[in-house]
Amino acid sequence: MAGTGTTRTIKLRIKRYRPERSDEPFDQEFTVPFRDDMVVLDALNYIKDHIDPTLAYRWSCRMGICGSCGANVDGTPKLTCALYLKDLRRRPVVIEPLENFAILKDLVVDIEPFMEKLESVKPYILRPDDRPLERGEYRQTPEELDLYRQQSLCINCMLCYAACPVYGHDPKFLGPAASALALRYELDSRDKGSEERLAAIATEHGIWQCTFVGECSVVCPKDVDPAGAIQQLKTRAATRLMKAMLLPLAPR
Amino acid sequence: MAAATVRKPYVRQRSALWWTKNPRYLLFQLRELTGAFVVLYAFLVLWQLWALRGGEDAYYSFELLWYSRPMMVLNAIILGFAVLHTVTWFALTAKVPLFRIRGRPPPAALVIGANVAIWIAVSYVILTLLYGGL
Repeated sequence: MAGTGTTRTIKLRIKRYRPERSDEPFDQEFTVPFRDDMVVLDALNYIKDHIDPTLAYRWSCRMGICGSCGANVDGTPKLTCALYLKDLRRRPVVIEPLENFAILKDLVVDIEPFMEKLESVKPYILRPDDRPLERGEYRQTPEELDLYRQQSLCINCMLCYAACPVYGHDPKFLGPAASALALRYELDSRDKGSEERLAAIATEHGIWQCTFVGECSVVCPKDVDPAGAIQQLKTRAATRLMKAMLLPLAPR
Repeated sequence: MAAATVRKPYVRQRSALWWTKNPRYLLFQLRELTGAFVVLYAFLVLWQLWALRGGEDAYYSFELLWYSRPMMVLNAIILGFAVLHTVTWFALTAKVPLFRIRGRPPPAALVIGANVAIWIAVSYVILTLLYGGL
């Protein structure tokens, strides 16, 4: 800011929740100096360093790969490290904890339900017979890797869950990221657990609950396209069901 | 011994107007609403059959109503919803690549375009069979 004379400022309205002091969240406004190269996370860090050290939020890498700094900014789920203040039109900038999650403190939400969903899709290579180690790794061609590369790029930032009205309606819904993770293993040539995995996710609260709003894919910072992944899983689950009905003795 | 952690998660209530916050949520709700209009149209057709069964006079009075301005407006609205549902459904089909071209999923424009082309062709054939042309 040296040499510019006047310092520009920007007003932020942050949703705060301090469970030890109050039963309800409340809004608090902060005015922070800003430059064009500042992202929302920089403003949060400024507040914590210079104005109010009690402000709680998650962050780590500052470069859009750790997936921990997500928040609803002006109503849209965003990675705060990848969103420039200068690109935001509304004043004050409204920062809230990710929608559809319980708030633990300020911008920190409870990620436990999400972790359980990830586990439920069996996100590991399933095989009926594990090869002994001395026979080496399961090899894969670049083409086979390409089949699931897109789904493997998920950083578990949970923006898709904050954008999903179906998850907002029913917390039991498997949701976008966990479904995309399931497809990642479904498309993996080394995996032989399709039967087991589809049985786990093609349920009432699983993929069939998705009504294809599509907003998860819009907010995804890694272009994983979870909405598309769920539709692909639905096709696979339906094919599996039809095969079981029409060709009961055929291998699936 | 440290004091036990006092966790007090706060669960927010979703506003009844959540679908007004984002144009894509609104579009989704409109698509869901299509079901109600399709049911309404089914009742209209049943009503038409009922009138047909009642004989020539009954069907004539039905037709007077059928071609009245409010009925035309209602039918236009129903058609609008049906088209919205169809178009968004075709947009969805591009998300499920059933085959690959040189190792890549077919481009979305190709899948959606092919679906729309088949839709128009089938509609044309049906309309030609029913009304002898458009």
